[in-house]
Amino acid sequence: MTLAERVSSALTIADMEARKIHHDSTELWTRLVQPALWLLIFGEVMNGIRGLSTGNLSYIEFITPGVLAQSVLFVAIFYGINIVWERDVGVLTKLLSTPSPYSSIVIGKALAAGIRGVFQAIMIFGLALIIGVNVRLDPVDVAGVFIAIVVFAMCFSSLSMLLASFLKTRDRMMGIGQLITMPLFFASNAIYPLSLMPAWLQYVSLVNPVSYTVDAMRAMLLTGDYSNLGIDIAAISVSTVLFVSLASLAIKQLLE
Amino acid sequence: MAVENLVKTYPPGIRAVDGISFSVASGEIFGLLGPNGAGKTTTIKMLIGLTKPTSGSLSLFDVDVAKSPQAARRMLSYVPQNISVDGDLSGYENLLIFSKLSYVGREDRKERIAAALQYVGLTARANDLVKHYSGGMMRRLEVAQSLVNRPKVLFLDEPAIGLDPASRRELWESIRQLRKEFGTTIFITTHDMSEADYLCDRVAIMDSGKIVVMGSPSELKESLGGDVVTFRLTQPNKAVALPADMGQLVHQDDSTIKILTHDGQETAPRIVLFLKDQGVGIQSMSIDIPSLDDVFLKYTKKRLEEHGSMAEARAVRRSIARHSR
Repeated sequence: MTLAERVSSALTIADMEARKIHHDSTELWTRLVQPALWLLIFGEVMNGIRGLSTGNLSYIEFITPGVLAQSVLFVAIFYGINIVWERDVGVLTKLLSTPSPYSSIVIGKALAAGIRGVFQAIMIFGLALIIGVNVRLDPVDVAGVFIAIVVFAMCFSSLSMLLASFLKTRDRMMGIGQLITMPLFFASNAIYPLSLMPAWLQYVSLVNPVSYTVDAMRAMLLTGDYSNLGIDIAAISVSTVLFVSLASLAIKQLLE
Repeated sequence: MAVENLVKTYPPGIRAVDGISFSVASGEIFGLLGPNGAGKTTTIKMLIGLTKPTSGSLSLFDVDVAKSPQAARRMLSYVPQNISVDGDLSGYENLLIFSKLSYVGREDRKERIAAALQYVGLTARANDLVKHYSGGMMRRLEVAQSLVNRPKVLFLDEPAIGLDPASRRELWESIRQLRKEFGTTIFITTHDMSEADYLCDRVAIMDSGKIVVMGSPSELKESLGGDVVTFRLTQPNKAVALPADMGQLVHQDDSTIKILTHDGQETAPRIVLFLKDQGVGIQSMSIDIPSLDDVFLKYTKKRLEEHGSMAEARAVRRSIARHSR
């Protein structure tokens, strides 16, 4: 098994998903409604109050990276449902019986979640520009944001596949998805600064990859303050590698 | 393919596969027959390395499947009982993706895909989404995948289940063709005796995790010796105890009694008298040479449960419907 083969398998799986999206992209469009509501309704209303200390940023600017992360998080955390579905219809059995290694299949699927994330990001980016968020349009920063989104989607879609390997039904996956997304979102700096949280919640947010992602995106998208970027990248990378590895080991449980 | 003393137990100590051994020669079509729950699918899953055996050894062209499943999978292709093609992709894309995942060389891919589509008669529908295909077309697309990958061994789990008779014929022809053209070794599980009789060079009959008998279909039929006498009954009857010299009662249900006997012509009249004596109402009688069905009945003491097979056929149709959503 050469590295080229491993990479090729992962890219093929991602390509498979891209082709499915190409055939039918309804789901992606419906998933845009929620982040649009956060920005347009919640953001606008809170913007008027000016009750949160968000530094030099307006509130709407402050939550733009948060909403971006949240919409990608939603796509990723429910990604395991697709795997369960593929198991139910027999496609997964077929995938796992090819010579391609399980890790390549998991990475490919995670990349596919990344593709969905990028689609979300482009739309939210556009929306943010339309409502006048002052985004730094430096090409390196924009590229950095998109890379962050792909890695972030890979991180939580792998977590989702890991959970799916043990939970095995779509109903349970729906339940667990609901159960963990909101806490991940609220225990992060997505819609309010960490400094406003009670002390215990600040500790929780220290182990929450969402916070690091939002922080990195906020730096690249808005503030240009790169002082925490190294820690952010390290934290996201470590959790992604961890979840991808665990999911690769666990995925065959789905067939038992 | 060599299988030695293969065992798979599931907690709490259920022996799904209970120490089976067999070998399959290169280029052979081998059938594993058995009623539902006999352990056929579990066996196939171990053979392709999707499930680890509890004990025993199995090898494929001298590769130990449990130790290096990846290497083994390079040589094989698997068609599961439920339809496994992706309904959200076109037929062409299904072939392309799976040929890439099986590392078919770039230079061969295009040509092989075109030839495979041609061969299974799906060229005109190649760019349609598979969810708009019929069940038979989906199965044929799965055979086409094997044509593209050119495996040394092809595993088919109940391939003809849920298909109409015409699609079934076409499928059998493509399977035979595959062996003829590429010398592919083919391993089939089925509980359809006509399928086994038509396709297989050798069969093993499996029951409750064990192989009860193995041989070529004609050998097995001859091994029963003599004839099968079948009586249609006018009404349900209590169990009959047949004297040993008249033959062996292999099956009895509400409407039929089947008896295996050395010389049907000679013993049948005696059996009729005996049954009359027992108060059994006979509607009609026939004397036949044994079929593979009779072999199965004799060794498993089970009729191929019609309810069971209906349920499986329904499951496969459901799987086709899910793909067509």
